[in-house]
Amino acid sequence: MEEVDRILIHTLKQTGTQVSEEIDSVKQFSSELIVEAVVRCIRVIDPGLGSTLPTSIPPGMSARFRVGMSLAQACQDIGYKGEIGYQTFLYSNEPEIRSLLMFLVEKLPRECAEASDQPTGKLVVLQRLITAAIKAQLSVPWLPSNCRLPLHGETKSSAALHSFRVQPLSLPHYTKGAGKMQLKGGFPPVKDYQQDILPPVTAQPSSHASVVASILEQHTAELTAAQEWENEWNSQGLLSRLTPQDYCSRKLSRLRKRIQEQLRSAALASSESANGCHYSTPDLSELLQTFKSPAPPDIILTKGTHFTHTQKYTFTRDVVAVTSPISAGHQLESDTQDHQQVLTCFQQQAQQLSSDVDQLIIDMKNMSVTHTQVLHELKQREQGNSEKEEKMQLKKKTISLMPDADKNLLQLQLLVEASVKRVVNLASQWEKHRAPLIDEHRRLKELCSNQDLESSRKLLEIKSLHDKIRVSTEETKKKEEIYKQLVTELENLPQDATRSAYTLRILEIVSNIKKQKEEITKILSDTKQLQKEINSLTGKLDRTFAVTDEMVFKDAKKDESVRKSYKYLAALHENCNQLIQTIEDTGTILREIRDLEEQIETENDNKTVSNLEKILDDYKDIRQENSALAAKVREG
Amino acid sequence: MELSESVQRGLRTLANASVFDGTSFQALVDVSFWSLLSRQGDPAVLDQPELKHIDQILVKRAHTAAATFILEAVKHNADSSTLSSCLEELSFSAERTEIINGIYQTHKKELDSLLASIGRCPPRVNDVSWRLQYHMKNGHVDKVNEPFYSISLSTENEGALEDIDFTCTVEQLQDLVGKLKDAAKSVEKASQM
Repeated sequence: MEEVDRILIHTLKQTGTQVSEEIDSVKQFSSELIVEAVVRCIRVIDPGLGSTLPTSIPPGMSARFRVGMSLAQACQDIGYKGEIGYQTFLYSNEPEIRSLLMFLVEKLPRECAEASDQPTGKLVVLQRLITAAIKAQLSVPWLPSNCRLPLHGETKSSAALHSFRVQPLSLPHYTKGAGKMQLKGGFPPVKDYQQDILPPVTAQPSSHASVVASILEQHTAELTAAQEWENEWNSQGLLSRLTPQDYCSRKLSRLRKRIQEQLRSAALASSESANGCHYSTPDLSELLQTFKSPAPPDIILTKGTHFTHTQKYTFTRDVVAVTSPISAGHQLESDTQDHQQVLTCFQQQAQQLSSDVDQLIIDMKNMSVTHTQVLHELKQREQGNSEKEEKMQLKKKTISLMPDADKNLLQLQLLVEASVKRVVNLASQWEKHRAPLIDEHRRLKELCSNQDLESSRKLLEIKSLHDKIRVSTEETKKKEEIYKQLVTELENLPQDATRSAYTLRILEIVSNIKKQKEEITKILSDTKQLQKEINSLTGKLDRTFAVTDEMVFKDAKKDESVRKSYKYLAALHENCNQLIQTIEDTGTILREIRDLEEQIETENDNKTVSNLEKILDDYKDIRQENSALAAKVREG
Repeated sequence: MELSESVQRGLRTLANASVFDGTSFQALVDVSFWSLLSRQGDPAVLDQPELKHIDQILVKRAHTAAATFILEAVKHNADSSTLSSCLEELSFSAERTEIINGIYQTHKKELDSLLASIGRCPPRVNDVSWRLQYHMKNGHVDKVNEPFYSISLSTENEGALEDIDFTCTVEQLQDLVGKLKDAAKSVEKASQM
């Protein structure tokens, strides 16, 4: 019974019942504890049913009675077949409570056990970690602030805090593929810069506090970008049947076009609506220029105004940029006036020069246009010249042929005929060549379409393979995590729950039961044998008696002494019968006595006396309550 | 612990014994930890004699990757087994894994506090002193007769001590106490999930 009780108490603790450590058998359960245990079990089994039940016994007697009744009803609703009533809870006896608790524990759903087997995601693991951390922090005793030592791990209060500030980092990037390698080779300055000038990442941010944040941010950005690309490539990129680079460049150009259109329309709208606002249009057109990826230089040249504008803009900005540190330096020496003058002078000069440059550029453009025009004219003239020379030569020939006209005519006719024949010949030859070529063409076309089909099929295959790979990697990851988690759980598990010990115990019990069964069968067979013997003996007795009776009866008619002996015989038989009867009676009485003794024992076990006393007390309580209520009613 | 493509490549370079030999590997790992833990960013941090003979671009890449790896590991609170398995995947030899692991374990606390120093923290209450006062009357009302509490919380924020003084009526104080109890209960609940 101890085993059973321990298992019961363990399960009850799992359902949330507060069983104190000293209690290790059902015998020690108080009625409060019983009520709490039963209610918690019912709540787990059937939350709807259990939510109406209180976990503690109210002090009033009648209320207690009602709680007991409702609990008994609930247990019967769940399906408890045994005898149950309010007395089970209020005036408990051990076996009843044990059987009730065993029933309830068996009824408990196994979900709680299964839930822990289910794979837990990252989130759950994180939550568990957080829980463990909070628990650890809660278990640390509170200390007054001046008793706190630095080794208590109070990092937060001592170290200065920085906000999460991110600065972009410049990294020596990896080249992707051979094409870009060449491009890199074309920009040796970039390489030189990366090699010699570029500071290491930890020195790049202006304040050292943002180093960590920047690096983490950079890494996360890269990761998410890679994921995004993966997703897009799997969903759309593969179907477009392009190489990744082509897909990227196409998407880039599409995006550029869209932005360009948007900006253009916006710029047009704004320039139409607000004439006073000069700045927006040139800026936007500059933007547009930058978006035209490898824009040919002619376009910029033809849009002279834009070009000059940008030039002027950048130029002045440069001047400002160059002068500002100088002026700043001289401000400290407080003789700014001279330098201001010099500066304005320079600025004016610079502006003059830039306008000169503009003028010169425009002139150059004009010149180049005229130059090309002149060149064009020259070419035309030369062409006309050569045409005229050809005509002249033809005419010369005809003139030379004129004297011998007839003969020449004939020759010409012959020539014409021959050429006609040749044409016909060539046509037939062409036909001959054409047919196989057309066939070839058709064949190739078919091949092409076949290959198209094949490639699309393969694409589909690739896609499905990709999906499979993804799914299986996810699965492996998940399984690995589960494995890790299970291993940690196994480590964390208390070592007292020894399954093998339980099974050993169960096996022992089973073998014991087997032995007992054998003994019982042996005793049973013994009893049967005895019964048989008794039966045969009684049969023998009856028969011998009958025979003797007959013989003696025959003689008894003749002889007086024999008659006497017959009477004795009858009396003897009767007496013996009586004796047997008495023995049997004593046997049954003994059995009854034993039964009664057992009953008395069980009744003693049921704490009948104490329970009766309790019932009496409770009865008094109820009467008191009733009288108090009656008095209240009367007062009211 | 997920690592991006560039970080993985940088670490592979670092693991490659033909690029980084024993001494330069040790120097770079030291430099990576040191550059994260030092108070100011030193641009000349990579100018070590052990790293002179290697292509500076490779050195910078490896340094970036190592720094990122260290920070990610600390962010995930990775233990030594996770760290080792991660490094083994990136073809680090057992000896190099051991080196990184050792340095990581010795500096983990400092790195933890480095990461913990990002963010904000409300001031923590160290002590409280209170006084029950009685408001009898004022310039406008002759009979007010209300008790009120004046409370002073002595708080500490980033090492600086500061007192927060306020007064409240009994109801407000009860409300405050109730809120505090709620908070304590929620923390307890969070620890029992």
